[in-house]
Amino acid sequence: MAQDTTVPKLNFEYWLDKAIEWGQATTLESQKDVCLHLPQLQEFLHQLYETIKHLGPTVAIQQFPLIGQLLGRLCWNPFVIGYDESQKTLMWCLCCLYSSEPQNAVELKANSWIRSLLCHLLSSSKWESNEAETSTFISALGYTSADYYCHLVKNMVVSLVTELRENQCNGFNIQESISASRVNAISIFCVPLITLPDLTPLLETLLLYHGGSSKEILSSEFLEAVNEAFLKKKISLPESAVFSLWLRHLPSLEKATLHLLDQLFSIQLNSLEEVARVIKDSLLPQAASHPAIFRIVNEIFKNALMETDGTPEVMTIIQVFTQLFLQAYQNENKQKFPLKAYFPYHHQPLVRSLVRHPFELPTTYWSQHVKHISDMLKAIVEDTNVSSLTDLFEIWFLVACFGDWLDIAAEQLLKAAVEPDPVLWLLAFYYCPKNENQQRTQTMVEAQALYNHLMTLFSCRDLSLKDLEAAVHRVTGVEQCCNQQLTTHLLTNFLLFSSGGHKIAQECIYHITEITDTSKEVYNLLIRTAYRFNRSGEENQRTVKLMNELLQKFTLKV
Amino acid sequence: RSNRQRQAWPMEAVLGQVEQLPALLAVSRSALVRDWDSLTLDRALEWARYFQHLYDRFRARPQLREALGRRLRRSQPCPLLGFPALGRCPQLLGLALLENRALPPAACRRLVRSLLQPPGAGPASDPRGLELLARRKAAARLLALPRHAPGPEPQLQAEARLLLSRLRQEAREAAGQQRWLCGAQEGQEAREAAGQQRWLRGAQEGQEAREAAGQLRWLCGALELLPQPRAFGVVAAALALLKQGRGAEQAGDGDGDRDGSSSPDGYQESAAGEECTAGLLLSWLLGNQERFSAFCLCIPSSHLAFLAGHYSQLCRSYLDLLTGWGRHLHYDPLQGQWVKSCLDKAELSWEELRERFICLCQGSTPLKEQTQAALELLRTQDGDFRVRGLSVWTDLLMEVGYSCVDTKATGK
Repeated sequence: MAQDTTVPKLNFEYWLDKAIEWGQATTLESQKDVCLHLPQLQEFLHQLYETIKHLGPTVAIQQFPLIGQLLGRLCWNPFVIGYDESQKTLMWCLCCLYSSEPQNAVELKANSWIRSLLCHLLSSSKWESNEAETSTFISALGYTSADYYCHLVKNMVVSLVTELRENQCNGFNIQESISASRVNAISIFCVPLITLPDLTPLLETLLLYHGGSSKEILSSEFLEAVNEAFLKKKISLPESAVFSLWLRHLPSLEKATLHLLDQLFSIQLNSLEEVARVIKDSLLPQAASHPAIFRIVNEIFKNALMETDGTPEVMTIIQVFTQLFLQAYQNENKQKFPLKAYFPYHHQPLVRSLVRHPFELPTTYWSQHVKHISDMLKAIVEDTNVSSLTDLFEIWFLVACFGDWLDIAAEQLLKAAVEPDPVLWLLAFYYCPKNENQQRTQTMVEAQALYNHLMTLFSCRDLSLKDLEAAVHRVTGVEQCCNQQLTTHLLTNFLLFSSGGHKIAQECIYHITEITDTSKEVYNLLIRTAYRFNRSGEENQRTVKLMNELLQKFTLKV
Repeated sequence: RSNRQRQAWPMEAVLGQVEQLPALLAVSRSALVRDWDSLTLDRALEWARYFQHLYDRFRARPQLREALGRRLRRSQPCPLLGFPALGRCPQLLGLALLENRALPPAACRRLVRSLLQPPGAGPASDPRGLELLARRKAAARLLALPRHAPGPEPQLQAEARLLLSRLRQEAREAAGQQRWLCGAQEGQEAREAAGQQRWLRGAQEGQEAREAAGQLRWLCGALELLPQPRAFGVVAAALALLKQGRGAEQAGDGDGDRDGSSSPDGYQESAAGEECTAGLLLSWLLGNQERFSAFCLCIPSSHLAFLAGHYSQLCRSYLDLLTGWGRHLHYDPLQGQWVKSCLDKAELSWEELRERFICLCQGSTPLKEQTQAALELLRTQDGDFRVRGLSVWTDLLMEVGYSCVDTKATGK
């Protein structure tokens, strides 16, 4: 118990000093200061309430002699009262200090003072000079202050919204324009009220408001607070308002993207449908229709990938995001930016090829398209002098974002009659982009060998693990990681799509993942394929069934 | 009929309970609460919650609503509370008790704890809860920035909306009363008791007249609670709101009390109801010449022009008033302008009079035409001069004519 009371006690003086400071100054600076401290103050009040709720009024006042001063001052600060749940906690603290059997004059006085405060908060108040007449009038009509303030706030919001909107239309009329400082002040006063539903129209109007100046007029405290409330799903805003917020306030966009990644890491990636839903709900793919937003989000994803050393989960998330972004981009009816705006530093024909959705093309053209991509990529990477690692990474990242084509390439290798070399080159590049020490070339050679071997076994109906031993050994025996990933990919596809593979699939995959460290890769490959099948409808029921079985086994293990 | 009799029994019990509400509220405001302990308080709050429950159950059932409303009105000396008050009962009672200093500490403690939601109940709070009230009060304080927008201030608008809400409620209940009487009349017709029929018809008409007079008295009394300029502001805002369409306002009180808009008769009623409400406000305004004169001096001319454009009675009276004021101006050849002739009777200067007529001419086309016609008639009656300095109406027409041309030029 002693531990509990020391924590709020330490901060008591701090908050009392703050409350006194806020009460005296009415400048914009002090108001901004209040806004910055509101969440911590709420937390403190909550802790205070938890501490005193079992104490009883006399003991509480003994332990915290200044509590009356603090609560009293806070009750007169509209920022504090307007914020989230602070008013609730404050009133409960006051309740705790009210004695049901006052023993002496002091306690009676305290009771009386508490009642005045509560009346001030809930009914007649001395804040406004003409309130006395108003409250008599309202009572004569049979209403309460609850009804009055409900209407009043709504009217004030409508009035401010009208003022801001009209000013947008009258943009050229300098005399009537609202000053930037006024809009800034409005945005600061809104900070505590963001989660009050009545305010949503005003929030929307502010976010969409563009004054004449190029500098940001809305206060950063406001923009941050709106973003927080939106990410925690405490408010709902129309899409245009959210996009406007992210366009004008970079930290908010960054926070939103990181928040999305956190969310996705915390849920188990069981199905990509779930991932796609979460990503879509975040509104980021839709927002990315603005090239500026797309480029920033892309940068953040790139960094996340590098920081996690390229784990498959992150890559999968990026790929799904890119798909959803393309969907939103293609559905966009209003002015569309050209692709070059999103991928300015890349070879445009390559970009155009990658952006083509597989389902737009008949399946018979897929291999051709993959070859086309591969040829272009090879030309860029090998022939022109791609000197720096950064450039190489950029190209690699571009291709990696469009995971569908890579997966399809690996499938086509086994299912269709293709020229294997370009496809293998593409896959080798994906898994092993660097070539200073001929790693990629080596990977390519390994892959070719495996491919040839697998093709000989592809039409065999009855396979046993022994038949694949050589192939499996290629996977498990190698040292180099990128070789392993590519060969695992090919082998897994083989097991899924070949006539004889499905019987031994489970055994084989189990074997591989036990020995090597590739269970994540295999798992991600499976869920990506499942996601693609759900959207396109894979005809082969046997493959679908097998995949679901494999996935089930995996989810039990992982 | 036997079905109705079977239903009547439990209904009668409910009606009897509802009759107790005014008494309960009256006690909660009086010194009688000094004998209350926590148990009494709990019981009172339970009653309040029960009444709210009745409201929720019956709000979508017009006949039962009207029955409850009628019984409620009967039990009060001056009809303050109607059916919607049942929905607001916990707040009405709770706030009345909170402000009542006679309430002893133990009961007060219990009261405060019941008024607030338990902490940690989450943000999805009851929209009729009191935390929201505290928050909105703070919001009203924060958003009270100096206003740059035209039109009545938000406080006036809020008071106006509540006034309208109340008047609509009155209109609905009066209509309900009418229907009840009609129903009774039809019942009598079926039994062919002619004498009773006549009596009922007479009762109906008498009822209407009494209603109207009673409402006007009540309205006067309510508006007297405000200082006069404010009362004028509220009435002006209310009249404006009535004409701004149903889309812009909320029927009933703000928290979802959409009475009357759900049932089909409700809609027809409300169109007629709006007429009645407007009529009532106008009779208050126009019934007393001094009051109307003060009103026209108090309210800005553009707002008056808006109202004149939508209410023909008001337009006529306003024009008459302006005519009267205009007559008190005479031309001073030394100064070369129109001045007030007798200072205690003349209310407006030439500039102010001109401004008002210009505002009228910037209104809707019918209003503009009516104003010009009135001015032309006055000019004719005054000798039909076309030269300045002889008739105030001639000069006004010339000024107004110019500004109308000007406004056309700027394309407003």
